[in-house]
This record gives sequence, C-alpha cells and structure tokens, in this order.
Amino acid sequence: MSVAAAIKSRDAATLPGKRDEDWRWTDLRGLIRAVPEPSAPVTGDLGAGPFDALADEVIVVGNGVGAAHIDVLPGQTLAVALRIVSRGDGAHAARVSVSVEAGGSLILFESYEGEGAYLSQTGLIFNVGGGATVERIVLAADSADGVTVSQAEIDLAPNAAYAQTTLTSGARRQRLQTTVNHPGGHAALRLDGVYLLADKRHADLTTVVTHGGVDGVTTQLTKGVVRDQARGVFQGKIIVAEGADQTDARMGHHALVLSDRAEVDAKPELEIYADDVACAHGNTVGALDGDALFYARQRGIPELEARAMLTEAFIGQVVDRMEHEGARHVIRAWATERLRG
Amino acid sequence: MAAVKQTVEHVASLEKYKHGFVTDIEQDFAPKGLNADIVRFISAKKDEPQWMLDWRLDAFERWLAMDEPDWAKVSFPKIDYQDSYYYAAPKTKTGPLSLDEVDPDILETYKKLGIPLREQEVLAGVVGSPKYAVDAVFDSVSVVTTFKKELAQVGVIFCSMSEAIREHPELVKRYLGTVVPVSDNYFACLNAAVFSDGSFVYVPPGVRCPMELSTYFRINAENSGQFERTLIIADKGAYVSYLEGCTAPMRDENQLHAAVVELIVLDDAEIKYSTVQNWYPGDPVTGKGGIYNFVTKRADCRGDRSKVSWTQVETGSSITWKYPSCILRGNESSGEFYSIAITNGRQQADTGTKMIHLGTNTRSRIISKGISAGRSSNTYRGLVSAHPKAKGARNFTQCDSLLIGKHCAAHTVPYIEARNGQAKFEHEATTTRLSDDQLFYAMQRGLSQEEAVQLLVNGFVKEVLQELPMEFAVEAQKLVAISLEGSVG
Repeated sequence: MSVAAAIKSRDAATLPGKRDEDWRWTDLRGLIRAVPEPSAPVTGDLGAGPFDALADEVIVVGNGVGAAHIDVLPGQTLAVALRIVSRGDGAHAARVSVSVEAGGSLILFESYEGEGAYLSQTGLIFNVGGGATVERIVLAADSADGVTVSQAEIDLAPNAAYAQTTLTSGARRQRLQTTVNHPGGHAALRLDGVYLLADKRHADLTTVVTHGGVDGVTTQLTKGVVRDQARGVFQGKIIVAEGADQTDARMGHHALVLSDRAEVDAKPELEIYADDVACAHGNTVGALDGDALFYARQRGIPELEARAMLTEAFIGQVVDRMEHEGARHVIRAWATERLRG
Repeated sequence: MAAVKQTVEHVASLEKYKHGFVTDIEQDFAPKGLNADIVRFISAKKDEPQWMLDWRLDAFERWLAMDEPDWAKVSFPKIDYQDSYYYAAPKTKTGPLSLDEVDPDILETYKKLGIPLREQEVLAGVVGSPKYAVDAVFDSVSVVTTFKKELAQVGVIFCSMSEAIREHPELVKRYLGTVVPVSDNYFACLNAAVFSDGSFVYVPPGVRCPMELSTYFRINAENSGQFERTLIIADKGAYVSYLEGCTAPMRDENQLHAAVVELIVLDDAEIKYSTVQNWYPGDPVTGKGGIYNFVTKRADCRGDRSKVSWTQVETGSSITWKYPSCILRGNESSGEFYSIAITNGRQQADTGTKMIHLGTNTRSRIISKGISAGRSSNTYRGLVSAHPKAKGARNFTQCDSLLIGKHCAAHTVPYIEARNGQAKFEHEATTTRLSDDQLFYAMQRGLSQEEAVQLLVNGFVKEVLQELPMEFAVEAQKLVAISLEGSVG
C-alpha cells in the first residue's frame, strides 16, 4: 500500500508492514497504531539549510507545503537546494517533480530536516532527458522520533547521466527509496548511499533499477556503520529485462556493526532475463578489522582515534565518488561529527 | 579427458529423457482424494501405532487451515489436492528378505536406471568391492534393505521409516518433527499427514558409519504423489554420509512430491547429505508433465562442534522449491551448502539454503551454481542470519549464475541478517553468460560447440562436483551434460 494514500485516508491498517515482502525489515504498520492528525503549516524561522551556500536557488517544502517543481531547460545548468522540512507531531505528504530537459544539467541538494514525532512522506518524480546530467545529493537529518518515507522515481532517457548519493543518520523509522527506469542506450547510473546510525535509529536504503534496453551501465556502492541498538537496512534490486543485453551492473553493500546489539539486514537482488550481461553484487557485514586497529594503536594512535580514522576511511570511499567538491566538504564534516561526536 | 569423452559419448547415445519408461506393477491404491479417512487408511495400511495416527491426524487438521505459499518465483496451475492418490504400494510378498524375493520387474527397473545396488558383486563375494547400503524406495514403500547385518554389527540402524516406527518407537517419538515441526510450512504439514515411507538412520555415539548409505527414489504410479519422510540422527561423535538420488518415468500428469528430510547432529557428529535429482522435467517445449518438487530439508546442529554438509545437483523436475537449511545451534558448529541447479526447457527452480547462526563461533559456507538454458527460470534464494548470541559467526557465500540463451532467466535473492557486532558475513554473486572467447578458444582447438559448452559448464560447476562422493560425481557430471543437451545453437 502506498504510504501517501495511508496518510491521506488516515487509515493505519493500509500502511506497509513486515508481511509485505518489500517492507519486511521496515515495518510501519506494526509501529504506527493511528495515523497522526494532519500537520499544521510550518511557521517561524527555519534557519539555514546545510547546502544553502552551494545552491543558486533554495526551495523549502515545509510539512508538505511549498513549491514542488524544478525545471531545467535545454542547455541550462542549475544548482538547487531542496529542503524538506518537518516540524511537530503531525502527518504530511509532499510531491516534488523534477524535469531536466535534453542537455540540461542539475545539481540537486536535497535535505530532510526534522524536529518532532512526525510521519512524513515525500514522493519525487525525475524526468531526465537525453544527454542531460543530474547529480542528486540527499542528506537526511530526521529527528529520532520521526518516521520518514521518501520515494523517488527516476526516468532516464538514453545518454542521460544520473548520479545519486544518499546519506542518512536514520530516524525512528526511515525509508529512502529510489526506483530507476534505465533505458540502456549508454545512459549511466550511479546510486550510492551511506548510513551512520546510533542509538535506536533505523534507516532503510532501498533501490530498484530496471534495465529495459541495450547498453546500460549501473554502479552502486552503499556503506553503513551501525552502533548501539541501531538497525540498518539495505535492499538493492537490479532487474535486466529480456533483450537488455550488454548491461553492466555492479552493486556493493558493506556494513560495519560496532556494537553487539546493532543489526544490519541486507538483500542485494538480481533478476536477470537477458544472457549477454555482466551483473555482480557483493555484500559484507562485520566488525572493524582487528589487525588494522592493532597496527594503528601500535603506532601510537589512541584506540578511539584509530577507530574513528578507520571508520571514516571506510565511508570515505563513497564520499569520494561524489562529483561536487563543495558537497564533499559538507558531507565529510557531517560524517566526522557523527563518527567522532 | 576420459570423463569428458565419456560424457560426450553418453550424450550422443541419448535422444530423449533416458529414464522415461513406466514399469507396470499392480498397485495397491488408496482411493483418490484427501480427507481424514485417507490419513487413517494410510496409517492402517502401514500398521501404525495409535500415537502415529494421532500425529498424522493432528497434522492434517493443521494443514486444512493453511494456505499454499506463493512467494517463490515459480508459476504453475493450481494444484487440486483432491485429484491425486496419496498411497500406492507395490504388491509384494510379505517381508522380502533378499533381492531374490523382490519382484523381477522392480529389479529390471533398477537395472534400466543403472542403480548401483552392488548386489551381484557382494553376493559373488568380490573382495574389496565398495560397500553401499541401499534402502531402495519403490514408489512409496521400501522394498528392500540391504547390508543391515553389517550395519547392525556397529549399531547403526538403517531402515524404512515404517519399520522404525514399529521397531524403534522411542527414537522416532523423540526426534520426528523436532527439526521440521508439523506446521512448519504447507508442504511439510501435508507430508506429516500423509507421508508414505522414507529412510530412518541412527548412528550411535562414536560410530563412524562403515559405508555410504543411499536411497533411490522413483515415482512410478500415475498420479500418486510421493511423500517421503527421512530422519537421520548422528549421535555424539558419529559420522554418516548419505546419498539420495532420484529418477522418474515420463508422463503427462503433473506429479506432486513433497518430501521432508530431518537431520539431527549431536556433539562432535557429522552428517554429509548428497542429492542428485533427475526427475522428469516436463516437455521441453510446453513444460507439460513434469514433477513438482516441494521439499523441506533441514538440519539441526544441536551439539557443539557438529557439522552438516548438504550437496545437491538439481537437474530435473518441472518445478523445484527446495531450501536445505542448517540451524547452527551448537557452539562451533558448522554448515555447508554446495549446489548445482540446472534448468532447461520450461523448468522453474527456486532453490537455495538457510544458515541460521545461533551458537557462538558457528561457521557456514554456501557455494551455489545456477545454470539456466532454454526458456527456464532459475532462482537462488538464501538466508544467512546471526542471532545476537552468535558471537564470532562467520559466513561465506558465493552464488554464480550462468545463462545460456536469450529467453532464460536467472535470479539471486539473498537475505542477510546480522544481529550482533561480532558476526562476519561475506556474500558475492555474479551473473554472466558463457564467454564467447572461451567458447571460441575451445572450438578452435577442435571441439564441437556442444563439447565446448560441456567443457566450460563442467568447469563452472567443478567446485560443487568435488564435494560429491566419487560414485555420484561421475553420474552428476553426466547429468549436467544431458540436462543442457540442445541448449546451444
């Protein structure tokens, strides 16, 4: 069931739950007994967003209300900060549509900024034209009591290039989902993610990529660090339709579990109906490498510092794949705060 | 290269499914359909004690309340459970004591299948001939069990399930249904209600079973589902290797097979369970007539340092739904799963394993090789999970898929659940087709296309074939070749 529809109808029984295969590790139905009252509009000063300084334009969607269209004309280059702000304990849903026409270029800094025990859903639709490029950077800073679902659907044209990095510190329950229609035709797709979770936070990074045509490339790298009683979920699915030959798809998910009560659940899935393809996925879950830790300590680095260094290096591989330099600085600072704070 | 040559010759000698013949033996049928009376009929037919009948009836009640699962990536017309026979026994003279007393038709069937009963050698007193204990299951009732005496000398019990219920009720009562509970899943529950027969093995403490035990299955009666129930117990420090192989005759009606295999491994014990499955896969063009294979296989490593190794070569059946699993309960216990699944024609396979780490320092290893050809679909579905108390759990999983042809499908659906900070799980999967370069190279050296494909495929599955006992490995290699016949060019 759609989360947006459940919020609209206020029927908690229609929320997805663990009996739904795609939501088995992110149970909303079992968590939410009653859908909260609709949220009131956001008032007062929201302060600055994390990417305001990097953007040409800032769009704020507060509790589901705000401008919801981003258009990039042919040949135009634009950097937009999209702030999805949630305040209070209500429920709200927002819709955003993004259109990047042929040859256009968009850098989208999308931030989720939450305070309170809200239930929020955001639906995003991207249309990326031929030869257009998009880099989408999602930074989810939800509150520890918030429940957030973000669902993006991306339609690529041949020769388009779409790169995405999703970074999150989790929420009470959080699902960041990306669905991509990949037409092949030399379109290039990168879908990366980082989750750094502490306390009882939960984050679910789910991606579904459907390769529909010949000659498509997809690379995916997601890394996560969980501690305390946090729970990280990764579900990645790559579908290669019949006839989508010469598809090259690679997916990696690697997680560090830094406490005995933390949990990581992963489901890297391949569904292949064409034979001339190269598809692979790798998945590892484990603790920090004891040898590396020992080496660092033996060189005089205190244990906490050594752990932070190794963890930062682990995450760094994903951050380095981001193309926008300014965003890399913002994200490194965000990660350092979380790993050393 | 001898093996390759042999494979090639073997393939050339085959035109169609080799084992597609029906032996006509008078059958003793239960009436068609399924209700409590049929369950009573089966139980009465087998002279079972009241407790066993109660167990069956309880299972039947639960089964009525369950729904058929639909999550696997397979599709088939809805099964009418009332349109099938649930009991069929070949009419035999009472208690065949030796092969001489066995219906010659049955022996003829075995001969056609090439079952290595090894009777002639042993009867002729051939020195040093390999020893195999074969509990041959013909349709539903074990008709002959050999080597019992030699096994009895070391205290190993190897008999049919119905005999175990009569002779060793205390062991059966203690272990039956403790690994796969009655209402574990729809098909296991159905099996608990109507299971016909199967094998029972008990290896006492400290005993290394002196020979490999094997059971041959063969579905023979038209429209009769076969519901095997196998229970193997390796007591402390025991070791046993068990081989299971199956073939079935060609026919038009779909046949349901819902077996349950339970393995119980106590401290320091080990069970090696190998399967070669070669049931009729259905018509290659229409997919009609193949076997439905819905099997529940599970091992419970109850003891510390216990070990289970599952090896399977799945080439037949029109639909396969099978996940041999390991519950790693004992500390330092380990589980292994080696699998080759081959689908061709219209076959659909959804198979894999579950490794459930509960004890500390438990280890598991999964090597799965899937090959799809024709218009078939092949899915690996697996779960690796570590309980919060499973400190130091370790898993390595590798699942590779090979696609041959434009219309087949290969899927990989692994579930990984790590619930503590000291577990280390690694998983890798690849999906590719046969490399053109390698094919070209092999053909350029003088091999035909078919031979080249066989060579490459054998290389692809080698890691798993190596895990099979010698006898099986040769048979399996041939099967791999036969299954992929005509899939290229």
